[in-house]
Amino acid sequence: MDSLALAIGVPLIAALAAAAFPARAQALGLAGALATTVASLQVTALVWQQGSLRSEPGGWGAPLGLALQADGLSAALIAMTALVALATAIYASGYFRPGNRPREFWPLWLLLWTALNGTFLAADLFNLYVNMELLGLAAAALGALGGQPAAVAASLRYLLIGLLGSMTYLLGVALVYTAYGTLDMDLVAAALRPGPVAGTAMVLMTGGLALKAALFPLHFWLPPAHANATAPVSAALSALVVKAAFYLVLRLWLDVFTPLVTPAAAHLIGLLGAAAVVWGSWRALRAERLKLLAAYSTVAQIGYLCLFFPLLQATPPGTAREDLLAALVLMALTHGFAKSGLFLAAGLVQQSAGHDRIKELGGTAQHLPATTFSIALAGTALIGLPPSGSFIGKWLLMTSAVQTGQWWWIAAVMTGTLLAAAYVFRVLGQAFNLEPTPRRFLTQGRTELPALLLALTSVAVLGLAARPLWQLLQPGGAA
Amino acid sequence: MSRRASLAVSLLLGLLTLLLLWVFAQALAQQPGPRLAELAATELPRSAVSNPVTAVLLNYRAYDTLLELAVLLAALLGIWSLGAASPGYQPAGPALEVMADWVVPLLILTGGYLLWVGAHAPGGAFQAGALLGAAGVILRLAGHQRAGLPSESSQRLLAVSGTAVFAAVGLATLAFGAGFLTYPPDWAKWLILLIETAATLAIGTTLAAAYVGGQPPENPEGVRSR
Repeated sequence: MDSLALAIGVPLIAALAAAAFPARAQALGLAGALATTVASLQVTALVWQQGSLRSEPGGWGAPLGLALQADGLSAALIAMTALVALATAIYASGYFRPGNRPREFWPLWLLLWTALNGTFLAADLFNLYVNMELLGLAAAALGALGGQPAAVAASLRYLLIGLLGSMTYLLGVALVYTAYGTLDMDLVAAALRPGPVAGTAMVLMTGGLALKAALFPLHFWLPPAHANATAPVSAALSALVVKAAFYLVLRLWLDVFTPLVTPAAAHLIGLLGAAAVVWGSWRALRAERLKLLAAYSTVAQIGYLCLFFPLLQATPPGTAREDLLAALVLMALTHGFAKSGLFLAAGLVQQSAGHDRIKELGGTAQHLPATTFSIALAGTALIGLPPSGSFIGKWLLMTSAVQTGQWWWIAAVMTGTLLAAAYVFRVLGQAFNLEPTPRRFLTQGRTELPALLLALTSVAVLGLAARPLWQLLQPGGAA
Repeated sequence: MSRRASLAVSLLLGLLTLLLLWVFAQALAQQPGPRLAELAATELPRSAVSNPVTAVLLNYRAYDTLLELAVLLAALLGIWSLGAASPGYQPAGPALEVMADWVVPLLILTGGYLLWVGAHAPGGAFQAGALLGAAGVILRLAGHQRAGLPSESSQRLLAVSGTAVFAAVGLATLAFGAGFLTYPPDWAKWLILLIETAATLAIGTTLAAAYVGGQPPENPEGVRSR
C-alpha cells in the first residue's frame, strides 16, 4: 500500500464524511483524526526504516505527472503534526459547546490536516501551491469560527495576506516552469543555473512564503488572527500552519535553490530572524492578554528558526551540519508541542475565567492546577530551559555561531531567552497569587490532559530523548 | 494616501512590473520550445481522452485537481460557517421570470453538453459546473431563496460528491494495486467520465451555494409555486 497517498487520502475522506453528515461530525471527526494519526505515523516509521519514500499518483512520473516524496525532515514534521492534531482534536471534542459552531469545525479541521500532510509530502512546485491554497482557506475559515467581529476581521485579513503570499509564490513557479520546463523539485534543482531568472524566482517564492510564515517584518497579520481564534484553532495555526510555510522556505533553500544561497542572502534571513526574536519577545512581554502573548511568542520562535540559515550556509557538509539541521528540526518540533499546549491551556483559562487578561489571572493555579502546570511546562520549553528540546536546539545554535565566527547571533538568542523568561514568569507570577491549595489536580481530563501531554512532550520527551530524531534525519534511514 | 505618495507607489509598481517583464523575457529565451506540451501530446493516446487539457487535469495531474475540488469545498464550508444567508431578492418581475424559465434549462443543457464534449474538445467539469452555477445565480436573482438547490443536507451531499468520487476512485485504484489515481487503461475513459460528472454537480452546487452566501434557509418562502 502507498503510505504517502494514504496520509493524504485518509484525512480527506474523513473530512468529506464529516461535511456530508453534520449530525455525526464529531464522532466522524475523532475517528478520522485517529485514522490519520495512524496513517501519518506509518509514513514516519517507513522513513525510519528506508530513509526516504517516493510515489507517483497517476503513475506518469516526473516531469509529466507529479510525485509525493518523504525524507527525514518531512517525516519528523508529519509525526509532530499527527500528535499535535490528535491531541487538539480530543481537546476540541470537549471544548466546543452547542451553539459554538462545532459543525463546520470537523470537516475544516480534517481538510487542514490533509493540506498539511500534502505540503510536507509534495515534490512538485505547483502541487505545493494547490496545497497552500487548501491550507490557507481552511485555516482562515477555522480562524473565523468563533464568530466575533474581531475574529472574522482578523481572519479575513489573514485570508487576503495568504492569497497575496500564494500569488507571489505562484509567480515564482511560473518563472521556474518557463525557464526550466518542469515543476518537479529534483528536476528543477538539477537544471537550475544561477542568474537573474533563478534569482527572481527564489526571491518571489521566498517572499510569498515568508509572508505566510510571518517572518519579521511580515508578521503584522499573525497576532490578531492567532489571538482571536478559538483555542484549538489557535493551537493549530501557531504550531502547525506557520511551520508548514517555514518548512517550504527551508526545503527550497536546502534542496532546490542550493547554488543561489549566498552568504548575503542567508545573512539577510538571519538578520530578519534576529529582529523577530527581539521584537516578538518584547511584544509578548508587553501583551495584556495571554493568547496575544502566545501569538507574539510565535513570531519570536519563527525568528529562532531563521537564525539557522546563515549558520547552515557557513557550515560545510558533514557531522556539524547534520547536527545543526537536527537542532533546527528539534526546535521546530519543540515549539510545535509547546505552543499548541500553551494555546490549549490558555483556552481553558479563558473559558474558566471568562477572559484572558494576564493582570486578572490571580488564582488560576488554584482553580486549574493541571492547566497552570501545562502553561509552566510550555513556558519552560519556550524559554529553552533544560531539559526541553529547545535547550538542546539553542545550545547547538550558539555552539555553531561560535564555531563559524558569527558570534553576533548569540546576542539575539540571549536577549530573546531573557525576554521569554520574563514573559513566562509574568504569567506564572499572576497565576499563583492566591493562598488556598487546590483540591484536585485535574478538573476536566478530556481538555486538560491533551494540553498537559503536549507541553510535557516539548519538555521531557523531546529534551531527554532527542536521539531518535538524529537517526530519522540520517539520509539512509535509521534501521 | 496623499497624491504624492500614491504617485511614488505607482512609479515603484511600474518599475517592478518592467523588471519582472524583463526577467520573464530572459526566462523565455532560456528555454524556447513547447516545454511539457509536446510530451503531453505524445502521451495523449495512453490518457484515454483526446483533449490535452482534460488529460492534464484528470489524468497526468489528477491529484492536483482532486485537491482543487477540496479547495472549493473548504471555501463553501467556510461560507456556511459564518451563519445564515441574508434573505434573497424580491420575486422576479414577469420579464425576468420568463427569461429565467428560458435561460436556466438552456444552461443546464449546455452544461451537460460541455461535460460530455470535454473528453475530445475544450470543455469539461469546471466549465460545465460554472454553467450550472450561473443557472443558480439567475434563479437566486429571480427570487428563489436557495438558488434552485435542494435542502441543506442534500446540498452537503452534492457539494461533497465531486471530491468523494474522485478520492474513492483514487483509493480504489490503490487498493487494486495500480497506485493512487492510476487508472487501468481499459477503465480510464469511464472513470474519468464518472469523476467529471460528480465534479460537475459538485462545482455547480458549490458555486450556486456560495452565491447564496450563507447557510441555506430551511423553508424558503421564495419558492415559486407552480
